[in-house]
Amino acid sequence: MKTITVTVNGTSYEESVPERMLLVDFLRDRLALTGTHVGCTYEGVCGACTVHLDGEAVKSCMMLAVQADGHAVTTVEGLAGADGPGPLQRAFSNSHGLQCGFCTPGILMNMSDFLARHPDPSDEEIRSGLVGNLCRCTGYVHIVRAVREAAREMREGASGVQA
Amino acid sequence: MSAVENSADWLGARLARKEDLRLVTGQGRYLADIVLPGMLHAVFVRSEYAHARITGIDTSEAAAMPGVVAIFTGADFKDTVKPMPQPVVKPNLPARYPTFWPLAIEKVKFHGEPLAVVIARDKYVAEDAAECVYVDYEELPVVRDPEQALTADSPLVHEEDGSNEIFAMTLTGGETPEEQAANAAAVEEIFQRADVVVAERFRCHRTGITPMEPRGVLCDWNDSDGLTAWITTQRPHIDRLALSDLLEIPAEQVRVVAPRDQGGGFGVKAPFYRENLAIAYAARALRRPVRWVESRYESLMNVGQERDQINDLEIAASKDGKLLAVRNRGVADNGVGTIGVYWGFVMPFLGAVELPNAYTWERGDVSLRCATTNKAALTPSRAFGHFPTRFALERAIDMVAHKLDMEPAELRRRNLVPSLPYTSVTGEYYDSGDFVKVWDNLMAQVDLPAFRAEQARAREEGRYLGIGFACGVELSGVASELLVPMENQPGYGAATVRLDPRGKVYVFGGDAPGGQGHETTTAQVVAALFGIRPSDVVVTTGDTGTTPFGSGSIGARAGSYFVSAVAKACAELKDKITRILAHDLQIEASVQHFEFTNGEIVYLGDAAKRKPFTEVVERIIMFPINLPEDEVGGLEHTAFFEAAKPMICFNADCCIVEVDVESGNFSIKRWVTSEDVGTVINPNIVDGQMHGAIVQGLSNAMFEEFVYDEQGQQMSADFEHYKLATAADVPDIEITYAPTPCPHTPLGTRGIGEGRPSSVPGALSNAVCDALRPGSVWQKIREARG
Amino acid sequence: MYPSVIEEYLRPGSVSEALAAIARYDEGEAMFLAGGQSAMQAMKSRMLRPQCVVDLQDVAELRGIARDDGALRIGAMTRYVDIASETTLDGAFGALRDAAAHVGDRQVRNRGTIGGSVCWNYVASCMPAVVLGLGGTLELAAADGSTRRLEADDFFLGPLETARREDEILLAVSWPAPAARSGSAYKKWGLVRDALPVVGVCVTVTLGSDGNCTQARVALSGLAGGCQRAPAGEDLLRGCNGDADAIERAMAAIADSVETHSDMSADADYRRQLIRSIGGEVAATAFARARGG
Repeated sequence: MKTITVTVNGTSYEESVPERMLLVDFLRDRLALTGTHVGCTYEGVCGACTVHLDGEAVKSCMMLAVQADGHAVTTVEGLAGADGPGPLQRAFSNSHGLQCGFCTPGILMNMSDFLARHPDPSDEEIRSGLVGNLCRCTGYVHIVRAVREAAREMREGASGVQA
Repeated sequence: MSAVENSADWLGARLARKEDLRLVTGQGRYLADIVLPGMLHAVFVRSEYAHARITGIDTSEAAAMPGVVAIFTGADFKDTVKPMPQPVVKPNLPARYPTFWPLAIEKVKFHGEPLAVVIARDKYVAEDAAECVYVDYEELPVVRDPEQALTADSPLVHEEDGSNEIFAMTLTGGETPEEQAANAAAVEEIFQRADVVVAERFRCHRTGITPMEPRGVLCDWNDSDGLTAWITTQRPHIDRLALSDLLEIPAEQVRVVAPRDQGGGFGVKAPFYRENLAIAYAARALRRPVRWVESRYESLMNVGQERDQINDLEIAASKDGKLLAVRNRGVADNGVGTIGVYWGFVMPFLGAVELPNAYTWERGDVSLRCATTNKAALTPSRAFGHFPTRFALERAIDMVAHKLDMEPAELRRRNLVPSLPYTSVTGEYYDSGDFVKVWDNLMAQVDLPAFRAEQARAREEGRYLGIGFACGVELSGVASELLVPMENQPGYGAATVRLDPRGKVYVFGGDAPGGQGHETTTAQVVAALFGIRPSDVVVTTGDTGTTPFGSGSIGARAGSYFVSAVAKACAELKDKITRILAHDLQIEASVQHFEFTNGEIVYLGDAAKRKPFTEVVERIIMFPINLPEDEVGGLEHTAFFEAAKPMICFNADCCIVEVDVESGNFSIKRWVTSEDVGTVINPNIVDGQMHGAIVQGLSNAMFEEFVYDEQGQQMSADFEHYKLATAADVPDIEITYAPTPCPHTPLGTRGIGEGRPSSVPGALSNAVCDALRPGSVWQKIREARG
Repeated sequence: MYPSVIEEYLRPGSVSEALAAIARYDEGEAMFLAGGQSAMQAMKSRMLRPQCVVDLQDVAELRGIARDDGALRIGAMTRYVDIASETTLDGAFGALRDAAAHVGDRQVRNRGTIGGSVCWNYVASCMPAVVLGLGGTLELAAADGSTRRLEADDFFLGPLETARREDEILLAVSWPAPAARSGSAYKKWGLVRDALPVVGVCVTVTLGSDGNCTQARVALSGLAGGCQRAPAGEDLLRGCNGDADAIERAMAAIADSVETHSDMSADADYRRQLIRSIGGEVAATAFARARGG
């Protein structure tokens, strides 16, 4: 066992964890942050477990929890602002960017990082940015639309709320 | 979210979904999110071989590991659990039904079959222990090829059956062999005199729909209530009956709950699975909650495998472009076949039924043989059974068109069933709609002459453009007429609508959706009918303890059967509400004299006579005095809906591709559709269903394949090898509508989405072949290479 | 699905600490963890069962891209995202960005490292072929304080095998300043976008003042034998001016000479076809970059 200190969604947690525990299990089983999902066995391809590590999108099933010691993690539960869902989350609802919702948290986490670096993406850039997130329901059409709409709203800065 | 001026307009509004807020904020509750105190974790030990006798299982080392609570093997079930199949999970079709238990007992019949289950306090420890369960096998010859499986000297998958032919049927000509033979002769006669004949073998590989959330089950037992099982399932009521029958638990002591949030189903979560039974057994034996969450590896090894047919298809046509007869000999690779409800052959059976599609044939001769092999059983996947047959037919129609030197689009239009109702040569009933209208709407989106000119110009520049078409008649719900024989289950929809004293409406349905937006569409229907807001409506699905019986969220039942039952229940309640309101207003009037709109009930004979909906509802529920004679208070109604005949929806696809003859790669330049989905409740949701279905069809056709090697080892059990399309691999999709409201449903709605992927492979392959005409891809590549 | 038991997790702050940590364990018992995008797959499938994991994330000296008068040194812990966004990696080093920008997906590129990839040396990966095709030098350090430099040709031994000893750490991959008029490019084909390469081709060329190729290296990924040079094509590229016919001849020679295999992604013939079609495109890009285009 190893004691780690991880800041998750702005709160610092000190926890003793087995060295082999995956970061995604630390989030889900220890911190009860079940918005981060698991869709692969070992391959790390589906992207449903995507979180931010120090502000960058990473797959939490492809890291040990001990590797996050001393770092800041943001999960989908930390994405909303004080006044509710942010523009990216709202855009996914308004554009029907989700159906079953299982892949959605990972997509939101990846795309919030993506939009921070690509504020005015083309559809082709959005699609390339989504390669690490598999979705089985939507055919991606409404996801691309949602990201495009979110980018527009965030650029216009109407709300001033971060994704 | 679009604002609605008049509450009647909720029907058809592009409303943001009620489900979304919790799902975009990480507050969804999927099966793996549910935790009970003292919960144990299960990991299955699975067969390493495709076909082998089990000569020994040594669990001693695993059982001694700290944290391991129990290990069960097949032997534990042999005398304590009834074998499958039991009637509730057995089709009414004449077939061989091999006996099996939750875990393999004497031999394993496919790579990945469950052999033992380890129950431990921690999921990591459970996996450690599962590695230490040692199984001795004596390998047996593997049955791998379905056609070889049907030969007399093939090894047998289920020895007691004496044959690998699990199911065979002729679907045309009548019931008796004599009638069928006479029909076959008549078809042969048409082929003899036909101007043009196309004959081709079409092989559709093993693929299916893989939901992003794998399966899972959490079972809890106590001695007074019995078993509560949370299952990732599309049909909790069927699972409940199966658990009760097989574990011999009185039905009133079994409750099944499908979690409100499920990560997709697409048919994969429709069968009753062996693992569920094993976990329920363990929870009862241990008197502890036990949870199993399937890994992706297990999922890809065991479920979501469908299609996998060989169709030897022939078409006879006249030189003026009339399709005369179709003949098909199908062979389906059924896999092992041992999964509750679905023995695999039900899918190719329906595929054969749906083969004739939207065209008028003078006659057809369609038959099917299904072979068991040492592979995972076919499990349902959206476009149930007819992805391969529709691919074969739609591709063959293009081949006929080429022989006739006719535009494939024109050949299709000439042969569409001109008016409905119509019964196909396989006996499928097409209730209503207008195929030609849908087709013409598609052609209006595509300027075909302009495309042909562009194609010719491009060819001169060495670029290869192609256009492909296909269409599809799909089931709109599955009627009892079909579901009783196919699955021993009723087709009707059922809904309970309950009002509370605050004027809020609660709808309960027994089907269990997995992302299709039932909460939203149902709320829109109720809001439109009662003149209230969707936010005033709460929809509960999937809990057998609170919902009326439903056969499940399968076969596009929501838009056809379920919302129709909701509408019927609302109509009954409106009847009662207006009877009492008329009495209170001291007028002679009934429901047709009132309008429910924008939160009020308005008497159409005198608009001054109006009352808030909430006030009337509260009066009937809470103050049931001074009622009309023979009325009692309270507002709740359960309604059942079933149309007299099966119902359909219809669609047509057009695809434009560019092929790179150097690499053989192609890119999809455009995908446009035309749809008859009847009355649309929420266009966003319908669009999304179509987008998803089409991309599933593309991904199936272009990237996905379950591969078994010579030894029957499954080689594609992770997402590095079983490739799903990413966002960058698929095009934007244009959906257009040419609807005809269904005359047989209260709202004119049709069930949509289930069969929708099936026209995709035809349209796609027709486009690629069109780009490369004349000749095949490889011919063209060789030519280009010189 | 879950890694087997790990008894010790160490996070050294320097190369010497990292080497000391690994030296405490017998061979096969401890492993370095770089970005983990391959290693975690292997640990979760229990193909690797380390007792000790030595995480290199805090070893700052292993990170970063350094340019010195044209020479290039990329620290082993430098991530794909950092390579892909390093705009100075053009011309002679263009292949590095071509490859890094399309490894896996954004999330993988945010974690995965060049050092992790070349030390793992999986057959279906891009970086080994690119380092080989660019003729990089691999700098290794051992616990006794010694260092050695291996040419890529000597470093990659075969699938999942390199010349790195387990008690050695890869410090960096480096290149001297490239000759004038040098260009490189890389491209792969996979079943879906940015998937593991079924075939990948890396071409590096240097042109003489007359525009004819004086030096050429071609390396392939995705073949069962592991990343490998393609001398048959290199010979044909040398001396040519990069015209389409010459490139096509070179790639055809490669396709005919290398051993391709059939698997569920592609059969052997299609792999040869891919070498031709991707190789032609890549070589044309490398020539264009060499010309400064």
